[in-house]
Amino acid sequence: MKLLIIEDEKQLVKSMAQFLRQEGYVCEIAYTASEANEKILLFDYDCILLDISLPDGNGLKILEKLRENNKTDGVIMITAKNSLDDRVKGLNLGADDYLPKPFFMPELNARISAVVRRKRFDGNNRITFQEITVDLLAKSVMVSDAEIDLTRKEYDLLIFLLANKNRVVSKNAIAEHLSGDDAELLDKFDFIYSHMKNLKKKLTEAGSEDYIKSVYGLGYKFTT
Amino acid sequence: MRLLQVSLRSLLLYSLILVVISVPISIFSIRQIINEEVDESLALHTDQFIKHIKSYEYLNDLEMDLKIWDQLSYDIVLTPADGMATAQKYETTSMYDSIEQESHPFRTLSSGIIIKDKSYLLTIRMSLVDNDELVMALGIVQVVLVVLLTTGLLLINRSLSRKLWKPFYDTLSQLKAYELDKGAAIKTEKTNITEFDDLNKTVSHLTDRNRKVFLEQKEFIENASHELQTPLSIFQSKLDNLMQISGLTEAGAATILDLEETAQRMARLNKNLLLLSKIDNDQFNEVEEINLSKLANALLANLKPMADLDNISIQTSISPLSITANATLTEVLLTNLFHNAIRHTTINGNVIVKITDRELTVTNTGNPIKMDSEKMFERFSKEGKSVNSSGLGLAIVKKICDTCQYKITYTFQDGVHTFSVSF
Repeated sequence: MKLLIIEDEKQLVKSMAQFLRQEGYVCEIAYTASEANEKILLFDYDCILLDISLPDGNGLKILEKLRENNKTDGVIMITAKNSLDDRVKGLNLGADDYLPKPFFMPELNARISAVVRRKRFDGNNRITFQEITVDLLAKSVMVSDAEIDLTRKEYDLLIFLLANKNRVVSKNAIAEHLSGDDAELLDKFDFIYSHMKNLKKKLTEAGSEDYIKSVYGLGYKFTT
Repeated sequence: MRLLQVSLRSLLLYSLILVVISVPISIFSIRQIINEEVDESLALHTDQFIKHIKSYEYLNDLEMDLKIWDQLSYDIVLTPADGMATAQKYETTSMYDSIEQESHPFRTLSSGIIIKDKSYLLTIRMSLVDNDELVMALGIVQVVLVVLLTTGLLLINRSLSRKLWKPFYDTLSQLKAYELDKGAAIKTEKTNITEFDDLNKTVSHLTDRNRKVFLEQKEFIENASHELQTPLSIFQSKLDNLMQISGLTEAGAATILDLEETAQRMARLNKNLLLLSKIDNDQFNEVEEINLSKLANALLANLKPMADLDNISIQTSISPLSITANATLTEVLLTNLFHNAIRHTTINGNVIVKITDRELTVTNTGNPIKMDSEKMFERFSKEGKSVNSSGLGLAIVKKICDTCQYKITYTFQDGVHTFSVSF
């Protein structure tokens, strides 16, 4: 799968590319708007990570150009501004998602997976991993063809971990993914711990292998 | 008291004193002038009389004629004088006027003359202006003068304060309504009064400069917050890379987690600072109808898991309420109030959220606050050392209430903190 990272901050691009390549994506990089304009016309990407504020132009212009040329590449806007205005404009111009800086890498990964899935399978899709099958439309989870009953949070947690297989996902990233701004209230991580415990229990009781491993106090890892 | 009234008062007082002093002075000097004129006239008459009488000295019966003439003439009295001829003598006397039936002042000049070797006392008199009449006439003139002066000054004063001071009052009313964080600059009109133009120029200059400094400062906060987000992203992504290294020690993992939490805290701080500066910039001016009750219920449902951790019960008494407001600000307002309540509730405590007619009340059990309750709404004022609190939550609440003109009150009674917002 091919991604294009449009971002002028070289250090950030380096980390993002390193991370995404580990995840098996082919990453191309454009540091400026003009580079980006060239690339989007020449190639097709599964997903474009678009920083809105670029030294030589507004990222929204790139989005416009993409749509003018009837390109259907998935686009995730990344911005430091987090302004509602840009967000609405971007989504109206056909961006698929919006991620304010700073963000957690697993969060970015989960968002990219979701966009790629939607584009590839027209939204009608399932995630299957060994005996676990997730129906994203029905929001249901099956272990060896038997449906298990998960709460909304447990379901979200599972999708998040499945998108970040074989990576350590920190508690902070999980908390932010599950609770958004409310995560700041979580002085301790008992909250995640209890959801994680329940999820693991439900999966193993249904006959699934225990894939979710705790990594010291840092976070969790979905190991295959 | 108005400036013009003060100056008018002094002017009027001065005029009145002048008028009062001028009355006796006028009377005195008019009398003096009249007396002098009359005296001159009397002297002339006497002189003429003496000259002419000499030319009649040839008449035989002059003595008789003089007697008859004395009886006929009113203003000239000629009486035989015995002894020495006296020197000329001016006198003011009063005489009874039989027609007007009152006393009249007269000026007389008595001089001893010799006609045909006989001494006579010649007294010529002239009527003077009546003292009372003079005072009366002058008095009337002065009273009329005072009335005209006062009304004139008052009228001029009134029209002056309307016309002349208009630019001043215009500027003043604009200054009164001036708010640094609102866009409108002070607009002054060109006047032809140097002082007002000076004032206007100074006021415009001052407000423009203040506004510029204010805007620069605001822009700085906004830009600084923006610029920090990218390095924070890099920091966070590098930490993620670090986490993936196999063979991490437990201590290393704990350090990475701490660093990540710190980065998140900084990101939140930035986000809140940005929010504050955006509210200042009036970037949330779009309003819509918001179902406050529905919003509160939804937000509280999200918070329940967090509250459950500390065994905090959330009780609600929410009646339907819709307000017209900005959606983002309303959500932030409620979220911050709820977060604040949950954060400061002691374990096993409870949070009560009430929505009644145009009022939202959030109460929570908790320890009394140590800081001044006024200080609570200031930026970066924190109770205790909660790592996860940015110290901006209530400052944002206050800012939103100020911007939207909601009234927020805080009370603490019997171990219960209460925040009320009236919409």
